[in-house]
Amino acid sequence: MVVYRRDTRGRSTLLILIVVSLVLITVDANGNGVVDSVRSTAHNVIQPVQSVVNSAFQPVRNLAGGVTHYGAVKSENARLQREIADLRGQLRVDQTAGPQVSQLEKLLDLPTVEDATGIVAEVTGTGPGNFERTVTLNKGTGQGIRLHDPVVTGDGVVGNVTQVSSSQATVTLLDSPTFGLGVRLESSGALAITSATAGDRDLTLSFLSSAVKATKGELVVTAAVPNAVFPPGLAVGTVASYSKGVQDLEPTITVAPVVDLDNLDYVKVLRYPDPTATPTAAPNGG
Amino acid sequence: MALRRIRLALVVLSLVVLQTTVFTHLRVFDAAPDLCLVGTIAMAYEEGPIPGALFGFASGLATDLFLSTPVGLSALAFALTGYGVGLFQSGLIRESKGIAFVLGGVGALIGNLIFLVVGGLAGHDELFALHNIQVLIVASFYDALMAAAVFPFVRWAAKADSGQAWPPH
Repeated sequence: MVVYRRDTRGRSTLLILIVVSLVLITVDANGNGVVDSVRSTAHNVIQPVQSVVNSAFQPVRNLAGGVTHYGAVKSENARLQREIADLRGQLRVDQTAGPQVSQLEKLLDLPTVEDATGIVAEVTGTGPGNFERTVTLNKGTGQGIRLHDPVVTGDGVVGNVTQVSSSQATVTLLDSPTFGLGVRLESSGALAITSATAGDRDLTLSFLSSAVKATKGELVVTAAVPNAVFPPGLAVGTVASYSKGVQDLEPTITVAPVVDLDNLDYVKVLRYPDPTATPTAAPNGG
Repeated sequence: MALRRIRLALVVLSLVVLQTTVFTHLRVFDAAPDLCLVGTIAMAYEEGPIPGALFGFASGLATDLFLSTPVGLSALAFALTGYGVGLFQSGLIRESKGIAFVLGGVGALIGNLIFLVVGGLAGHDELFALHNIQVLIVASFYDALMAAAVFPFVRWAAKADSGQAWPPH
């Protein structure tokens, strides 16, 4: 062990490091191309290693999951079989309303999820930090992914792309405290914004009208908002709880995400709005 | 001297690669170990405050490239931790067997606390959450355990060129 003498040189070195760090924090917080390109290069370098490690760890994760969740998997399988049967019936009912809905969407001239093409990507890991909710994808700008692109699974919304390099993308998850999304309650049609707190997997709805009521299990979908990052109608979650005190200005509604954000293997990055899509003329000619 | 610098650069690189690949899969109660922070504490313990601060700054900067928080935040937190641990170790009279475990845990707790406070003050309000205190404590225990592996690795890399093979005896 070396005994170090506290000298002026030592203090000035530390002071320089502090100043450089603070300058970097300020520069990056305001957005800087040089920092972004260094970040992008670092992601590209690490991506092949990350893919190999992810493949190596997959059997271990599967084994651990299978052993610890055998009972839950069995009962979930039975529940899913029942749900498939129910959904088949529901699909037949919905097919009759489908043409009417698409006609109305065209009249409103709003982009829909059908207007977006998707890029399937593998989730190679979670963000290395302890205080953020992100996952890393094995595809980037080289495969057509852009900053702020929405990310979904077959179930619903996952999050959106917040960092992207040529071979890798970082997705900030729906339940991250830094993520907010315009949503609509399926039955009442009330609009709200989602927010989350660190460590809590459920979302909270804000900016609700005091008259809004919700029932447990009610579906919450992305709202149709001009220039929104997400197409309207994507499933976000289901109402987990509803409460409203006498003096409350708005009800407190929590939403459980429909996607299991802790167990993501593959996701779809939506190119929305699709830059390759040709604009269609409005039905009314306007 | 040049060989020593190459070894230290390789240590930083290895710790960042392990941190961003293997340990993202090995979370316990949402917490993963911060290998670069443990490496910084080890460097400060072996070499003193300034080498500790410089190692912390470099490894923190490398870590920052993979986080969504601003670049420079981990660099600042790790540099301050390295300097602090270096000053503290100069006051230690003799080495004990459990010192790596204790320093790894306490140093990580302080380093992560600096990260949260400075990050929160820099505009990332979400870092001021109660849950993050829980993560901080779990991560510190995790870091204390990882110190048993990281300390000898850094000690080997930091020593003057002697042709000593890894693992050190």
